[in-house]
Amino acid sequence: MDVWAQLMQGFSVALTAPNLMWCLVGCALGTAVGVLPGVGPAVTVALLLPITTKVDASGALIMFAGIYYGAMYGGSTTSILLNTPGESATIVTAMEGNQMAKRGRAGPALATSAIGSFFAGTLATVGLTFLSPLVVELGLKFGPPEYFALMVLAFTTVSAVLGESTLRGLVSLFLGLAIGLVGIDNQTGQARFAFDIPQLLDGIEVVTVAVGLFAVGETLYFASKLNSVDEKLETIKGSIWMKAEDWKRSIGPWIRGTLIGFPFGTIPAGGSEIPTFLSYAMEKKLTKHPEEFGKGAIEGVAGPEAANNASSTGTMVPLLTLGLPTSATAAILLSAFQQYGLQPGPLLFESNSALVWGLIASFYIGNVMLLVLNLPLVGLWVKLLQIPRPQLYAGILVFATMGVYGMRQSSFDVFLLYVIGLGGFLMRRYGFPTAPVIVGMILGPLAEEQMRRSLSISQGNWSIFVTHGISAALLALTVLVLLAPLLVRVFRKRLPAG
Amino acid sequence: MKAPAGQVAIAAGVTTVGALILGGSFFLPTGGGYAQVGPGVVPRAVGVVLLLLGAALLREVFTGGFRGVDEAAELHLPMDWPAFAWVSGGILAYGVLIESLGFIFSSTILFVMVARGFNSRRWLLNVMTGLILGSAVFAMFNYGLGLTLPAGVLKGVLP
Repeated sequence: MDVWAQLMQGFSVALTAPNLMWCLVGCALGTAVGVLPGVGPAVTVALLLPITTKVDASGALIMFAGIYYGAMYGGSTTSILLNTPGESATIVTAMEGNQMAKRGRAGPALATSAIGSFFAGTLATVGLTFLSPLVVELGLKFGPPEYFALMVLAFTTVSAVLGESTLRGLVSLFLGLAIGLVGIDNQTGQARFAFDIPQLLDGIEVVTVAVGLFAVGETLYFASKLNSVDEKLETIKGSIWMKAEDWKRSIGPWIRGTLIGFPFGTIPAGGSEIPTFLSYAMEKKLTKHPEEFGKGAIEGVAGPEAANNASSTGTMVPLLTLGLPTSATAAILLSAFQQYGLQPGPLLFESNSALVWGLIASFYIGNVMLLVLNLPLVGLWVKLLQIPRPQLYAGILVFATMGVYGMRQSSFDVFLLYVIGLGGFLMRRYGFPTAPVIVGMILGPLAEEQMRRSLSISQGNWSIFVTHGISAALLALTVLVLLAPLLVRVFRKRLPAG
Repeated sequence: MKAPAGQVAIAAGVTTVGALILGGSFFLPTGGGYAQVGPGVVPRAVGVVLLLLGAALLREVFTGGFRGVDEAAELHLPMDWPAFAWVSGGILAYGVLIESLGFIFSSTILFVMVARGFNSRRWLLNVMTGLILGSAVFAMFNYGLGLTLPAGVLKGVLP
């Protein structure tokens, strides 16, 4: 079957009434949690994982994906209207967007980010549609050693490339790997680090870790550190529509932002911060109005917004085709697949093609829904920003504890949640990134499985990882990624002397 | 320059976790099977790497502090310990009380304590909001989705 036929089959799945409803629910929820500070898509999807026991796979996954890319739309609203960004990927939008809002141009800022997000999200979905089958074909040639090497590369890029410190990123990753070790080893049935505590024998749930790090840790940090920081909510004055000149100045940045964002999402480097910064730097160089930058240039909103949406759709390529999650939310989406006994990867495209293509088709539909939800209806979401902080965070914690307790009806999980929350607080305070923890704990056990499978094939001979060409190349790339910052430093030291 | 005590503690903590995992790996078989790699191999590797990373963190702490962390700016933001205690207390109280008191009342206590941590002293409003939110979630899950959140003291009172 060619791509068109498969996509049409996908639309026939995505356009059924229940799936359209799940898509709308996901997009609306995603926008809401994107707008609200203190709660993001990772926590939301984690808290909703229990519905996988009640809802069929395509409906639930369509909704979860909607939450993921919907949050990207919602996050920009917050960063434009509030001087504190809602999502980490919208820091750059906050710089120019908030300045535009301060000068009474909140409307066009919101419009260029919503339309740019739609443009980038849709184009990136086209990219996803045509790139996926190619990657699948490549993935079918991979055996256990190649997958292991690929996962090691993903670990490294997720923790070492992002963030300000390779060292602290690696610490986060290995803490995540350590969390992933707890429980019964799925190959030998041996209990590891469970200390005979029955709740630990089942392993530590991703829900507890995600909610602890993101919701509890964030609330503790905000309450004890940032409560004194002033927040100012800007109002939308005048028309929200863009003038002809705004359109003219936005189209270029949208296209360039998409072209930067999508490839960044697809390579296993994950995260949407880097492409947004790149896009911002590029627009600043290309603009005919350099004097406006820093004071509310529309290009500085349009480009980065397109980049972050394109990259978040791009992360679906490695997730769906190779089973490689490269962001915290993608990792939790992977565990949603696992709840149904499904493993994303090339085989999923063959065994569950209706499901995969239904999901891809739902992205096209979701982006249209999000455009409507975020442009004409933007006033609705702004109301969410008016919820006073004390009641907002109190409400978030009521849902957070309910989700964690309700999973197994065990108060042990609530205490574990608090301990992980304390860890999240310390990580935030001392500048450790949290996403590698989630990626490590979910991808870690899979990588171990692939490693031990490879060694079964080679009967314990470790050279299998370097005698296979692709796996050797991937491992060499990993070493390069790790050593690159070090080499750059050495060169810089030598340069002035020589 | 004096090393910041908090960073020393964090680096020492990472090292300790590494040491504990490495120690624990010796209780797990490392051989066996076709792979000749047992369930202890990966824990041992994770333990060793965490030990090394902890040592590298310690080195950073004593040679100018964590790279890219502006400790002075962090210390400039005062730590509001009462707020921290209110939020912590709310979650821990929830864990202690959920089974006996039930979902609705423990959620209300959590709500009120977290709101107080954020300096809200509108007790009546917070109690009412907590009660309404708790009851709504309880109703939605127990009657709507068929999950069972504990009724606690309201057992027998609620349908």
